[in-house]
Amino acid sequence: MTRLLSNALALTKRLFKLIFSFFHTIGEIVDFFLDCLKYSIIEKFYTNIFLKQFIKIGFNSLPVVGLTSIFTGMVLALQSYTGFSRFSAESAIPNVVVLSITRELAPVLAGLMVAGRSGAAIAAEIGTMKVTEQIDALKTLSTNPFNYLIIPRILAGVISLPLLVIIGDIIGVMGGYLICVNLLNFNPTVYLQNTYNFVQFIDVFSGLVKAAVFGFLITFMGCYHGFNAKGGAQGVGQSTTYSVVSSSILILLMNYIITSFFFKL
Amino acid sequence: MRNKKISVKNIYKSFENKVVLNNLSLDIYESESLSIIGESGSGKSILTRCIVGLLNYDNGSINFENLTNINALNDREKMNYMSKFGILFQNSALLDSLNIKENLKFASKQDSFTKILSEVGLPHSVLEKYPSELSVGMQKRVGLARAILKRPEVLILDEPTTGLDPIIARQINLLIKSLVRKKKITTITVTHDMESVYEFADYVAFLKNGIIEWYGKAKKINQSKNSSLTNFIKGIN
Ligand SMILES: Nc1ncnc2c1ncn2[C@@H]1O[C@H](COP(=O)(O)OP(=O)(O)OP(=O)(O)O)[C@@H](O)[C@H]1O
Ligand SMILES: [Mg+2]
Repeated sequence: MTRLLSNALALTKRLFKLIFSFFHTIGEIVDFFLDCLKYSIIEKFYTNIFLKQFIKIGFNSLPVVGLTSIFTGMVLALQSYTGFSRFSAESAIPNVVVLSITRELAPVLAGLMVAGRSGAAIAAEIGTMKVTEQIDALKTLSTNPFNYLIIPRILAGVISLPLLVIIGDIIGVMGGYLICVNLLNFNPTVYLQNTYNFVQFIDVFSGLVKAAVFGFLITFMGCYHGFNAKGGAQGVGQSTTYSVVSSSILILLMNYIITSFFFKL
Repeated sequence: MRNKKISVKNIYKSFENKVVLNNLSLDIYESESLSIIGESGSGKSILTRCIVGLLNYDNGSINFENLTNINALNDREKMNYMSKFGILFQNSALLDSLNIKENLKFASKQDSFTKILSEVGLPHSVLEKYPSELSVGMQKRVGLARAILKRPEVLILDEPTTGLDPIIARQINLLIKSLVRKKKITTITVTHDMESVYEFADYVAFLKNGIIEWYGKAKKINQSKNSSLTNFIKGIN
């Protein structure tokens, strides 16, 4: 009986600890965010670092995003063909492709790819700087690490993701076009016209809003986890993992929230 | 006449359950050179990090001239405070994504680093190299150059000669000596190198288990009757 009680007690204690640490982390993240805001308003902006990061996060992600988009467009066309041909609705394929790509697939897939690519790299780089005292050194050299390291990266993420997604949209639609025209004998002009007439501003726009939010989440989480890395190489590895996992989950969650906001029924 | 510059008053610092600084007090005087010695893990680096404001102590107070309790400074004041110090970190802490020239530019906007490089015994060609392309000893000397270039009020050197060959170590010791004696920079040096102590320390603080076990004039260190200190000095010689 007493054993049961003490077990129950230990369990509740652990539960409370878990809940506490969860809210503690949330608090820390909010704190970090407020610091970013504060310093971005009152202190120096490093344009050259921003441009470097823009190239790194945006331009260098082009191949990955392009490849995912084209294959996704292709597979979408193929899959909807096998379904739609059963009730002779093949003409709806361009519509399905462009809607799915612009609203959902291009932003989400680009987000997940960039989270794995750039989010991890950011966490590793900043984490290494943290554990090797480079961030401390910056502070003593009158350089605010928020302005020097974090704000340029976040801004680069917020700006480059929408641009990547615009390109991903075009390449994805082209993927569907390639399959439909070359494999399924669609008329090329009709395909493009169908796409163009059907897609609405809000479809593309909502995708770009998503992309900007994802760009923020990826770079913010990478910076946050890197900045809070502890210990040596192991701590840096852990911060990389946390950064990718947390930003991927947040991307999927925010994707749902933004979709329901734009297209409430 | 000694002028108090920094006074550390009864500070405590612990990590989880491990007490690292235990009611430690220490005064640092203007234009003097203080060496902090002690076994590995005795808290030397942690003490210097508390003094420069990179780490908050749990209890007690550190005062710098008119500033009292630097823990309580706000962000901007803290930035200002830290800029008074030139620091050589134990592992150099050079920014590894930048080459040496860009690293040094953080400390001084000047274009030519010829003089400082020759002072720390480095060839001009290192300027274009990245930290990872240099040996540990060379990185250390770049770190030292960066600390000095700032023309700081207080110089903090965490093991400036560890990992250097005897000839370069001697050159570095002489360089620090000239900074201390000629330029009269207040200097705190953490070291295991008794050469450094004999060469340029005015005072020595011997740290053990988070407290100052012995403090006194460098010249008198060999007359000390403190058995931990004499054992420590014997141990490293
Ligand atoms: N972040 C930390 N978390 C937990 N313990 C720490 C941390 N940093 C330092 N310590 C502990 O504090 C003690 C003092 O560390 P410190 O780096 O000041 O030693 P030190 O005297 O500089 O040694 P060394 O001569 O090897 O550089 C060590 O025992 C170390 O284990
Ligand atoms: Mg140390």
